[in-house]
Amino acid sequence: MLTKTQKATATKIRPGEKPSLRDWSGVLARWILGALFIYMGMTKALDPVAFLKLIRQYEVVYNPYLLNSIAAALPWFEMFCGILLLLGVAVRGSALMLILMLIPFSILVFLRAQGIAETQGLAFCSVKFDCGCGTGEILICRKLTENAGLFLASLWVVFSRNQPLCLRFDLFRPRSQTT
Amino acid sequence: MKHLLAESLAIALVGGVLSFSANQLSSKGLNLARNYFPLSPSPTGNSAPVTNALSTSSDANVVASEASDQTVARLEARGLQAIDHQTTLAWFKDSAFHQELTIFVDARDDQNYQAGHIPGAYQLDYYRPENYLPSVLQAASLAQKIVVYCNGGDCEDSEFTARLLATVVPAERIFVYAGGIEEWFAAGLPVEIGARQSGALRTAR
Repeated sequence: MLTKTQKATATKIRPGEKPSLRDWSGVLARWILGALFIYMGMTKALDPVAFLKLIRQYEVVYNPYLLNSIAAALPWFEMFCGILLLLGVAVRGSALMLILMLIPFSILVFLRAQGIAETQGLAFCSVKFDCGCGTGEILICRKLTENAGLFLASLWVVFSRNQPLCLRFDLFRPRSQTT
Repeated sequence: MKHLLAESLAIALVGGVLSFSANQLSSKGLNLARNYFPLSPSPTGNSAPVTNALSTSSDANVVASEASDQTVARLEARGLQAIDHQTTLAWFKDSAFHQELTIFVDARDDQNYQAGHIPGAYQLDYYRPENYLPSVLQAASLAQKIVVYCNGGDCEDSEFTARLLATVVPAERIFVYAGGIEEWFAAGLPVEIGARQSGALRTAR
């Protein structure tokens, strides 16, 4: 049974300790996630009207103010989380935010693809459409696989311990404990 | 765990504030209070016979035979007047077009408009109308026929634009070219590149 102090030290690299391969894999996952979310957010932020139209096609949100708010804020929020991950600020919280976004998005994309497959009589994996994910038209099975990969990478980062090359791994812990 | 949740909450709050601020500051930002989609989705599977209010007009062959039935049915269901390619072309070649008694309005965004529009067409980007409305309204108020188009097919921007124009111009003067610029391109007709009346024409895409 670990004490509270032991639990805390298990999630961070002790001074003088060399980062392990697991730590570096966390850094890689963080950078890949950060770069991807910045890219995907930027493509949407550069053309919010196109993103707005794509969100509308899901026929989930009908209230104009809510629909506009999602289309207006989500791309920037994705970029914000991506920047935090790249810089290594509030790393685990940022990765958790990605998970909280990826789960509902993947469900919605899955349901929409299912609807298209049924309407057009296509095999599920043959469905290709622009899901508003920031990657343009894409085959649904590829998109869902990508999302699963992003989900696992985010999960990896959430459960990672303090990583190298971070400006501030934990937001609410004293700096002395996080380095 | 508590730290993680607190951190996520802080990110959500700060990120939310920054995101809405960025939208406000961005030149491409959305107006949160505006209803961009005033027309409710209408059934498209119902291919109603294509007729419209212009059937009483002598020079209007207002039958959208070449445009998809779905597009036309959607326009009809929304109370808009659809015109087919032949009618559009006839009106484009008519002297009324040169006298600006018939005008064309391109409802697409600036990038698409610049890349190629029906020669002489005014631009009215429905999502950013403020820059275009003054010149379009001036022309529209004098015109007898206003033909609005976008890409055709699933593109609804021409419908929204027609609805917008109908708030200041009598609705019976407004028509939607159902096939849109895609049909115009497919017919190998010339398009004007760049600004309106630039004179730079091309036919191939």
